[in-house]
Amino acid sequence: MLISGIKSKPVYSPLSADTHGRYHLMLAIGGAATALERVLDELAAADPDALTRARVLFVPSADTDPFADRPQLEVRRFPDIPTVLAALRILLDESLMGTRLYVAGPESFIGRAMQLALEFNMNPDEIRAEALGSLARRVHCIHCRTLMEDVHTNIVECGGCARWLLVRDHYSRRLAAYMGVMVDAEAPGTLPAVQVIFP
Amino acid sequence: MTTTRATTAQAKTQQAQTIAVEVKAIEQVTPLIKHFTLAAADGAALPAFSGGSHIIVVLRGATRVYRNPYSLLGSPHHLDTYEIGVRRMEESRGGSRFLHENVSVGSRLEIAHPVNLFALAKIARKQLLIAGGVGITPFLAQLEDLRGGAAPYELHYSVRSPEHAAFLPRLREREGDRVHMYYDSESHAIDFDGLLSHQPLGTHVYVCGPAGLINRVLTTAKRWGWPDSHVHSEQFSAPPVGDAFEVFLARTKVTVRVPPDQSLLESIEAAGVEVPYLCRGGVCGFCHTRVLELDGELTHNDHFLSDVEKSRGKSIMPCVSRAHCRSLVLDL
Repeated sequence: MLISGIKSKPVYSPLSADTHGRYHLMLAIGGAATALERVLDELAAADPDALTRARVLFVPSADTDPFADRPQLEVRRFPDIPTVLAALRILLDESLMGTRLYVAGPESFIGRAMQLALEFNMNPDEIRAEALGSLARRVHCIHCRTLMEDVHTNIVECGGCARWLLVRDHYSRRLAAYMGVMVDAEAPGTLPAVQVIFP
Repeated sequence: MTTTRATTAQAKTQQAQTIAVEVKAIEQVTPLIKHFTLAAADGAALPAFSGGSHIIVVLRGATRVYRNPYSLLGSPHHLDTYEIGVRRMEESRGGSRFLHENVSVGSRLEIAHPVNLFALAKIARKQLLIAGGVGITPFLAQLEDLRGGAAPYELHYSVRSPEHAAFLPRLREREGDRVHMYYDSESHAIDFDGLLSHQPLGTHVYVCGPAGLINRVLTTAKRWGWPDSHVHSEQFSAPPVGDAFEVFLARTKVTVRVPPDQSLLESIEAAGVEVPYLCRGGVCGFCHTRVLELDGELTHNDHFLSDVEKSRGKSIMPCVSRAHCRSLVLDL
């Protein structure tokens, strides 16, 4: 039912350091922080001073803190995603050309961080992202423009207009959301099986 | 570094159709630069263009044809005329000398449709323009697009001495203190590190001028961590003069002699063989040609092939590159 091969669907790859960057702004959610540790090690190996120009914004989960043994690194900890995104906006506004953004976390969080980076005209060659954690999607109803968070199923009922929506792979970087399109327009009430496909 | 990609369709259109123009005005703006104003010979409006575009001017000399690229410097909002600035180049094949000496008000010329290989990034948060000498020309048109826009911008313009500051009155009048001047004669040079180390995220830098200036900007930007997508440069190389050599075109089975003061592309065209081109200045990559056999060395003068490709010797950009060779066979 999902239409595959849609080019706007973001593709992620394991994070690695971009040693051409001068400043390194890093974001991680919970356990995804391990991906940042790899980047920090690579940066330090290429240039021991690089970590003095690196900054981590981190939303810890449970009581693990992988950055505890890096005293020279500036790490700021946040209670949740809205607060870390608010801090990101302030930091992007102060940042200089030469900054690279690294994001490790669930895809929906990456999308919102990238959406902010786009506002500051950061291009794909300045941003690296690794999707770790939930595949739950942000879904934009193309009929009433309601935005739904945390969608796990292929079909979802719109919280705004109550239409049943098919969650497409068609992705908007501007909205940081996948498009939801009415699924039973031709045959009202005839729905395909609702399945959890974005665990 | 980013260059704007043009399509093959654009290249074909550009070569197929030229526009007859008449020279309406000529002004000597510096000891070396003349400012030409052109209008369509039939009085019609000229094709629309965006800031940073260039045209190829076809110059029919007594014994040969020159096709030289010049940036459009007039406003993209006024299409009754095109304006170009031509620096007289002494050590070259003679196209600019022809324009300076043999073209007067009322002369008829042919031009090709404008093509933009140096377009502005429209979503930039800030625009930083760096010009050296006659490299000011594409920026004059781009500034017309930038003025009144939301993004802040500034122009840094470096010339030998005040008398060489082409179009400065126009710039001062329109742009005021957004223009920063640098004069070699006063030992006042652009502080590249100062300029490129403290720009806000989302800035784009554009540079046009001599090779030395472009290289300084590109290397300084790289050192401060600028990604390629935010750095734009344009340098049209005039095809350098060199030793004569001979080339055999394998598909058309024609032997072409390239004299010292004619480019390889011009010589091939003079032999009646067509090669696709857009910029004729080593930038766009359209005239990319495969080298089938070579006994000798290629002299690469383009900005398109990578260093690895250049050292491999399997391709050449005939618009600006030449060869020192006993034999050269091209896939044409």
